[in-house]
Amino acid sequence: MSDHDDHHAPQPWGPHDWHHGAPHNSFSPLFLSMGVAISLFGLAAAWDYGTYNPGHIPTILLGLLVVGFSMFIWWRQDISFDGHYDPISTGTPFRGIQVRKVATWVFLMSEMMVFTSLFSTYMRYRLGIENCGTVFERGMFDPVTNPTGWQEGVAVTCFEPASHLIASSWWHLAPGAVNTFALILSSFTVVQALRYAKMPDLDEEARRKKVYRYLASTWCLAVLFLTLKMVEWFVGFYVPEISFIGLHEHDIVSLVDEGYTINADHYQHHSYIDEATGAHMVANIQVSASLFYVTTGTHGAHVAGGIIGLTYMTFKAWKGLYTPANAVSIEYFGLYWHFVDLIWVLVFPFFYLY
Amino acid sequence: MERKTLVTRSMVALILISIAMVVSPAVNSLPTGVGGTGIQSSGCNCHSAVPTATVDITVDGLPEEYNASETYTVTVSFSGGPVESGINSGGFNLWASGGEFSVLDATVESRAPAEVTHTEAGNDYRTWTVEWIAPSHGRDVDFIVHVNSVNGDGANSGDEWNRYDLTVAGSLGPGLDPADPFTVLATLIIISGLLLTITILYGFYRTNPDVFDWEHLAPWIADWLTTTDHKKIGTLYFVQGLFFLGVGGILAMMIRLQLAGPDMGFISQDQYNSFFTLHGTTMIFLAAMPLINGFANWIVPLQIGAPDLALPRINALSFWLQPFAALLIFTGVFSGQGADTGWTGYAPYIVSTGAHTGVTMWVAGQIMLVASSTLTGINFLTTMAVMRAEGMGWMQMPLFTWSILVANLMLFLSIPAFGVGLIQVYLDRTISTAFYDIAAGGDPLLWSHLFWYFGHPEVYVVIVPAFGVISEVLATSARRSIFGYKSMVLAMAGIGIVAFIVYGHHMFTSGMSPNLRFITMLTTMLVAVPTGVKIFNWLKTLHGGSLVYRTHTLWALGFLVTFTLGGISGMFFPSITMDAHLHETYFVVAHFHYVLVGGTVFGFFAAIYYWYPKMTGRMLDEKLGTLHFLTAFVTYNGIFWPMHRLGVIGMPRRTHTYFITTEDFTALPEWAADWNMFISVCAFLFFFSNFILVANMLISLVRGQKAPADPWGGWSFEWMTASPPPTPSFDWNNLPVLKDANEHIANEPSAIGRWFNRLMVPEDQEEVSH
Amino acid sequence: MGLITPLYDDLWNEYVLWSALVGLFTFGWLYHHSFYYTAKEGETPNIDNLEVGVFPKEYDNLKLEFAWFIAPLMLIIYLTFISWAPLDNLWSAASSEDGGHYGNECAAGESSNLMFNDDTGLYEADCYEVFGITGYQWYWEFDCFDLSEDLCAVSTTTIEGKDQPLISLKANTAYLAVMDSNDVTHAPWFVSLGIKEDVLPQQTTTQWVLADNVENFLLLCTEYCGDDHAYMIAGVSVHA
Repeated sequence: MSDHDDHHAPQPWGPHDWHHGAPHNSFSPLFLSMGVAISLFGLAAAWDYGTYNPGHIPTILLGLLVVGFSMFIWWRQDISFDGHYDPISTGTPFRGIQVRKVATWVFLMSEMMVFTSLFSTYMRYRLGIENCGTVFERGMFDPVTNPTGWQEGVAVTCFEPASHLIASSWWHLAPGAVNTFALILSSFTVVQALRYAKMPDLDEEARRKKVYRYLASTWCLAVLFLTLKMVEWFVGFYVPEISFIGLHEHDIVSLVDEGYTINADHYQHHSYIDEATGAHMVANIQVSASLFYVTTGTHGAHVAGGIIGLTYMTFKAWKGLYTPANAVSIEYFGLYWHFVDLIWVLVFPFFYLY
Repeated sequence: MERKTLVTRSMVALILISIAMVVSPAVNSLPTGVGGTGIQSSGCNCHSAVPTATVDITVDGLPEEYNASETYTVTVSFSGGPVESGINSGGFNLWASGGEFSVLDATVESRAPAEVTHTEAGNDYRTWTVEWIAPSHGRDVDFIVHVNSVNGDGANSGDEWNRYDLTVAGSLGPGLDPADPFTVLATLIIISGLLLTITILYGFYRTNPDVFDWEHLAPWIADWLTTTDHKKIGTLYFVQGLFFLGVGGILAMMIRLQLAGPDMGFISQDQYNSFFTLHGTTMIFLAAMPLINGFANWIVPLQIGAPDLALPRINALSFWLQPFAALLIFTGVFSGQGADTGWTGYAPYIVSTGAHTGVTMWVAGQIMLVASSTLTGINFLTTMAVMRAEGMGWMQMPLFTWSILVANLMLFLSIPAFGVGLIQVYLDRTISTAFYDIAAGGDPLLWSHLFWYFGHPEVYVVIVPAFGVISEVLATSARRSIFGYKSMVLAMAGIGIVAFIVYGHHMFTSGMSPNLRFITMLTTMLVAVPTGVKIFNWLKTLHGGSLVYRTHTLWALGFLVTFTLGGISGMFFPSITMDAHLHETYFVVAHFHYVLVGGTVFGFFAAIYYWYPKMTGRMLDEKLGTLHFLTAFVTYNGIFWPMHRLGVIGMPRRTHTYFITTEDFTALPEWAADWNMFISVCAFLFFFSNFILVANMLISLVRGQKAPADPWGGWSFEWMTASPPPTPSFDWNNLPVLKDANEHIANEPSAIGRWFNRLMVPEDQEEVSH
Repeated sequence: MGLITPLYDDLWNEYVLWSALVGLFTFGWLYHHSFYYTAKEGETPNIDNLEVGVFPKEYDNLKLEFAWFIAPLMLIIYLTFISWAPLDNLWSAASSEDGGHYGNECAAGESSNLMFNDDTGLYEADCYEVFGITGYQWYWEFDCFDLSEDLCAVSTTTIEGKDQPLISLKANTAYLAVMDSNDVTHAPWFVSLGIKEDVLPQQTTTQWVLADNVENFLLLCTEYCGDDHAYMIAGVSVHA
């Protein structure tokens, strides 16, 4: 049983002694898996085909707590990482490159497939289901002249892109547009953090401040992104009267309040009114709404994951623990963050503009 | 007996069995037509889908408590439903769990001793009378009555039916209820779990009998729970894989018991459906892949001369996701609502409320497995790309490592599609999104595409590592280098590429566009080419060699036989005209068990016998090994060979019963039932023969001979380390260097490699690192 | 062998022949080598001087490897070729203008005259009839549209003690089954005709039902659809 020499005892709860080679024992993977299982179990118990059963919300929270605890162990072990042990590739074609940088690239390859699958789903439904606008333009049902038209009170199954609401005015588009710039800017700030962390001739306090401030601004921009997203989905906002630019006072209603939800089987868009009769076309847009919320939501989940990582990194930077020797770990995160940014640049036109 | 003689005789026996398989005489010794109980559990749904409560059934003439062997006159009548029309007004079916009925008039006919129904003439009445002779055993007797209230228009619409259950007490009270199959399954799983715990405890005890107490046990267990060492995680995977191989085996035995005869009634269709679903999921995701990962974890770092994997903690995460996923997957079983969608989980059934509630948890568990596989893929690809020893270019990697590379590349590029599909289904079933809601415009074929885009590479993911094992084992056993190393690698890479463009052959009858079907017919045919190259290369390796017969050699040769058969039967499917008949029959079942059991499992049995000495430092017992090979190989072929024929003559898969030809309709011939009985018997023998392996591993762990570092004379790095290897497997400061018996130097980066290096190494690299 | 239909049987026989040849070749080779090239008891020779830590001497022969790359390729090209023609029959167009093998839909009183042409190895007909199949959990519903009683009739029959739907068709008639599903995916398998095609909710699929022989057989469901999937059967009666 003496696999470990005395000053190299396993520290499954952290912190690690990095000077003795590879990361050793950790309780984190065990707890992380357990937490994920509990959350998924709770989620499946709390909602059954849309029926909400609040009794199982504590289960979800417990799962998330366990996940959080496992992250705590993970970070507690990692925070002492000073770059002393960062394995370097020996095989071609990556010789001399940090192993974990290669791993990040490989990880992004599989992430690419996740979004490819989501976009395939999008294309299948966008091209395979008739657009609601087209159905509306065909006009109202008439047994003789227009047998394929829509009927008052009868829901038409059609595809209603969220952009129909979002791109209808500049103010509706504002949260998405601001978000785009926020993410692009955050890609810049994270690179600045890396730059200052790597800069060899910077004194310690100056580096600490620079790295910490740039990481913190990245964090803020990411949080801004998610906040605006919630505003756009659930809250809506108020536009005041600013007379000298000709702006009228009005409310921007959130997507959910507009009725654009995954349960919308009788959705009414304000423009789907027949001018002659005043009849309102109603549509079953559950598929379009599911696609919109799940695809942008998956991207949002990636941002949320980034925020969790950034929280730890900002903390580590605040403690002044980034040096040129371990700055490359900011780069690993940066690669992921650029990827998330890039995905948004694809999501935005597909779901917000077109 | 001399070893040599034993081996020779085994080989002769195998040839004889192969001949017997081809001749396949029909055994006509067993009676067929076990009495029907199907209607009792499912109801008569032909007149309409659900029973009608207003159809009121009365049964007169039965006592509260019967006297043994006494005769009672029973009258069945009903009211309600459509108005009586005089002709074609009703029908009934009366079934008793004991005693006998005797027919009194022409309105009633006997169907089985304890089951009666109306005749053509009886169709015009709503009252029927029959005699019941009580049984002599004195136990309670259950009666089930079904009646049809018919409106007489000759068609089924407008008709209604109902069911009525009653129990007549006997003097001795209730008899023993047949065990609920779920209880049996749960008990067996719990017993297996207990056995596993005892084995683990015994393993701890054996490591040092003197310190068998909690103070030493707790850190020992904590060490296993927290380990990031690739060898220990490999062992964990291996134990998990074997455990679930057993669980999946138990499920298979339940299925085979049910199918031993037509209309067996051992398990209900509900249970059968969730058992075959879990059998598939368990065997693929919880048995085959962990077994492969176990060996990949153990052997790949050793073979490329790396001290550990690139991301050891991620590796631990990949493993621990699996047992928790397994818990979720089996959650439904213990509540009697196990997933019942088939491992393919076709939409829209998977999101319909008709599917068992356990499906949601099953999907959740598989989402975790997807995460686990993705992380494993990232880890292994990175390890192989960056941690190869000095002197080992891509084209000097041992073939097992190559096979893991190809498998993981396929896996991690395909599994995200499955993951996304699963998340869509999970959200459909929980928060009610509408990805597969047909009424809202959802497309069931989208799921099929996402699933099979992953599903087909997945079956290669489990077979390609077996190719790697066989390449290692055959070459080492024949005492020579593998024939055509380069074409072996190219063939594997070819399989990896083709895997992504053939998946449409699972959807030849799915209503998918004929153009797509035709293209995938062409690409699917192509799979035969790289596979053929591999088989012929293996055979050529033997040429001029000097085969040393060990158990792993036997398994490797057995693999060649079964995998070739599986490969040949696979060639029947891309021919769409034949596939239109063979799709979803036992021919398919036979084919994929020939490649998955005869390929993957046999390949990994060979791997167990080959690498066990390296892992434990103890040799396995060769006599027990030979016995295991003989029994398992023979019974295995006994299970799956006859299935080809059953499929062709019309036995569909995924059904818990099958129909034998009657006077009225052509269905399966009577000998099909005999073959099913034969298959079931073989299945049990195969199941139990694998305990020889388990026993062998346990006994050898304690009593086996000490293994030298290189017991078989292999060349790759794993044979350089001690058996078992130390931790870390190689000294970080003294990594091995591969020499090459050939002249060329392969480790110089290629043009692409140099380009990559320039692309990825920052200019200030030199200042930053070290 | 007379297994299913002439279309299927021709392919099957060809495939079994080639399987047997490939099998004989491979297993003959395997058995020969596994007996002939064996080590003597107790001997562990080392033919290619395998040594730990040394990548072994290469053992290959480009011509041979190329040969068994080409041989399977030729074989599958041939097998693809013979599998190709029957597809025209399986997925024939529904009108003679588009090159369909079964003419146009029969006018009233017109006879289909389905026959197997031994020269081309394909089925031919003058015209075809149309009937409908709908899948429900868990039973089949047939619809004869306005076909005469002789061409298509729906009734019930008893199979294994349960009432099941029965469709009667006329022999030597080509039918086009127009199919959909009411709930989930099913697939009607006309066992003795060797054909199946999925039925999908809210989509229409079709398949050619070539009733050539007088026989009674079962129609089974071959896409898993839930609890009573196994009992989702129907009778098919082809009469003269």
